[in-house]
Amino acid sequence: MYENPSNKGRSRPGAVVRLFLAGWALLAGFGARAAEPPRGEWTMPAGDYATTRYSPLADITTANAARLHPVWTFSSGVLGGHEGQPLVIGQTMYVVTPWPNVLYAFDLSREGYPLRWKYRPNVSPNAIGISCCDVVNRGAAYAAGKIVYNLLDGHTVAVDATSGREVWNVQSADLGNGETMTMAPVIIKDRVIIGASGGEFGIYGWLKALDLSDGHVLWTARNSGPDTEVLAKPGVFRAPYDEGTDLGARSWANDSWKTAGAPVWGWISYDPELDLLYYGTGNAAPYNAEQRLGDNKWTASVLARRPGDGSLVWAYQFTPHDNWDYDSTGAMVLVDLPIAGKTTHALVHFDKNGFAYTLDRTNGKLLSATSFVPVTWASSIDLTSGRPVLVDAKQTGATRGNVTGICPSLEGGVSPSSPPAYSPRTHLFYSSTNNLCMDFESRRSTRLKGTPYMGVNSPYHPGPGGYRGSFMAWDAVSGRKVWENKEDFPTWSGALVTAGDVAFYGTLDGYFKSIDARSGKVLSKFKVGSGVIGNPITFRAPDGRQYVAVYAGYGGDWALLTGDIRSEDPADVRAPVDYMKDIGRHTSQGGLIWIFGL
Amino acid sequence: MSGSWLRRAIMLVGLAALAACQRPPPAPAPADAAPPAVRYVDHVAAGEVLPPGATPQNPHRGDAAVARNGALLFNSMNCDGCHGTDASGWVGPALGDGRWRYGGSDAEIFASIYYGRPKGMPAFGGTLGPEGIWTLVTYLQSLPVPKDEATESWEP
Repeated sequence: MYENPSNKGRSRPGAVVRLFLAGWALLAGFGARAAEPPRGEWTMPAGDYATTRYSPLADITTANAARLHPVWTFSSGVLGGHEGQPLVIGQTMYVVTPWPNVLYAFDLSREGYPLRWKYRPNVSPNAIGISCCDVVNRGAAYAAGKIVYNLLDGHTVAVDATSGREVWNVQSADLGNGETMTMAPVIIKDRVIIGASGGEFGIYGWLKALDLSDGHVLWTARNSGPDTEVLAKPGVFRAPYDEGTDLGARSWANDSWKTAGAPVWGWISYDPELDLLYYGTGNAAPYNAEQRLGDNKWTASVLARRPGDGSLVWAYQFTPHDNWDYDSTGAMVLVDLPIAGKTTHALVHFDKNGFAYTLDRTNGKLLSATSFVPVTWASSIDLTSGRPVLVDAKQTGATRGNVTGICPSLEGGVSPSSPPAYSPRTHLFYSSTNNLCMDFESRRSTRLKGTPYMGVNSPYHPGPGGYRGSFMAWDAVSGRKVWENKEDFPTWSGALVTAGDVAFYGTLDGYFKSIDARSGKVLSKFKVGSGVIGNPITFRAPDGRQYVAVYAGYGGDWALLTGDIRSEDPADVRAPVDYMKDIGRHTSQGGLIWIFGL
Repeated sequence: MSGSWLRRAIMLVGLAALAACQRPPPAPAPADAAPPAVRYVDHVAAGEVLPPGATPQNPHRGDAAVARNGALLFNSMNCDGCHGTDASGWVGPALGDGRWRYGGSDAEIFASIYYGRPKGMPAFGGTLGPEGIWTLVTYLQSLPVPKDEATESWEP
């Protein structure tokens, strides 16, 4: 058992004390978010409930980050896109792979970080073809001695963090109806919060709470439909910009809300003081919006719910009547910002639709919305009504034919799978971006259970400016970009920022970079073997030193879009796509876990 | 004993399917036609003995009108949602490149659609029936197969 320098003077923690410390780690998230978690752990997907991806560790600084170098790497043995991030609890690092969703537990206290165990669940290969966009997994959550995560085929599992034995394994989603699971659960008190993917299969999207002790369903909240399904209760639910009941049904033609889409495949945040959880919903189904006239609430929205009974407290729709596949499943980052002279409990969100939003997280009122990439589908967001000011020529639908020059593309101004980070030291947000536009040609689509419900052809083009992505720093108070590192390719990794004022991200062509969080200046970079679409984390290892971990493993949408990077199937050899002919030169598939240190 | 009975039964079904498919084209296969046995002619058969079964042929091969219907069916049954616009490949493999994971003969393409395949290809036999599937096969076979270019080079 090692002793962390920050714990010196304290007696060596025994098993019971360690359990207590794990609970303390959880509790620390409730109160002082800026305090260093015990022993530099990373116990939940985004590091904290506010989903800031900020670490108070400060051994790595702008002065020494140039010395960062790889100290360890391990092949995951899996080729799918490696989104998500590891967890570090005590002396163990936990890694969930893409399908077949293997869970690895590495012993950080031993030379070479050997495996303590690995857990290989029996997960259906049928899920491969029911997942729209590669067989990704966005990570696990930890609480009460259990590692909890979702399997692609719609199961949720809890694994004993010490022994690696399965504690429970429940079916949460219906694969036959087009539901898969890729999101990282979040554990709030004694409940595991989960959602399903399947916006491309016309699922009836939901959020569920499972009992942490045995996995049984405590509540299910639909993202569309009548108030009884949405769990919008009189006296509890109040929409900031809408009046009336059954908004989730009345904003849909006929009964099209029953196949709404509105998947939940991103991130969940939680404010313990307000006792509200926040999550974004994905696109409306099908992509041909003329089959579902109306606002289509609550697709492409942020919803605030009580974790206790799932009841909806408020909801705000970023993209009413989504007709561009603008999911809002990106992170809802909870920060307190000085706005108009007073501290505001804010929620900041970078949407696929190209606008960065700041909301009042107590009631869902819009405070500001400005574009962070070139946007052509709307000219602005009206702060009075909360609605976008639409550009008519860029609205799509089966009768509108091929609508060209829509920015951003349906990959988003940023992908929801690339979560941002926020530093309370620089007061800046850090995020990847994509600079792509698209044409969008809709046609009528038929819902056939278990098959895609889309109806679109949507080729992409590089956006203006001669670059296809970037990593930027954003001031959410002024709604301005502070600096931007342009990247040749769309940038798809998550962000990390530390108290050493160093930020981290990876690129699609396979570089992992550390940069000065105040200027964007690159401090170190290393080619990690495959494109980076995962999210860096940092932790203090048993040797007392700070390390940074990240996955390499090209994939996600790019596994489909740039089929020429794949080499695993001799029966499926594709030509490069015209807007990214060169990516195959720089990367190929393959999952690797990297750890960097000084 | 039951084994030999089963074998005879399978052969009878196979012969019925064979008979159904020996009708002169372009007469459509009857809706109750038995599906083909899965036979991968290019694959290794134990002892070089193929399992019993018929090798049906596409009754519409080369029929441009049927191929056009098949193109509509390809979109309306959401095949394009996985295999991409014009079957150019997406989460599912490209189907117009002349390379086949499970074989490209009439019977093999038919079997892939009828029974489905591992990794998520649904079984469409129940929804489409043999005639619908032959229509799709005709469309896929009508796609212009590009030159099989095994090399991708970034050198000038």
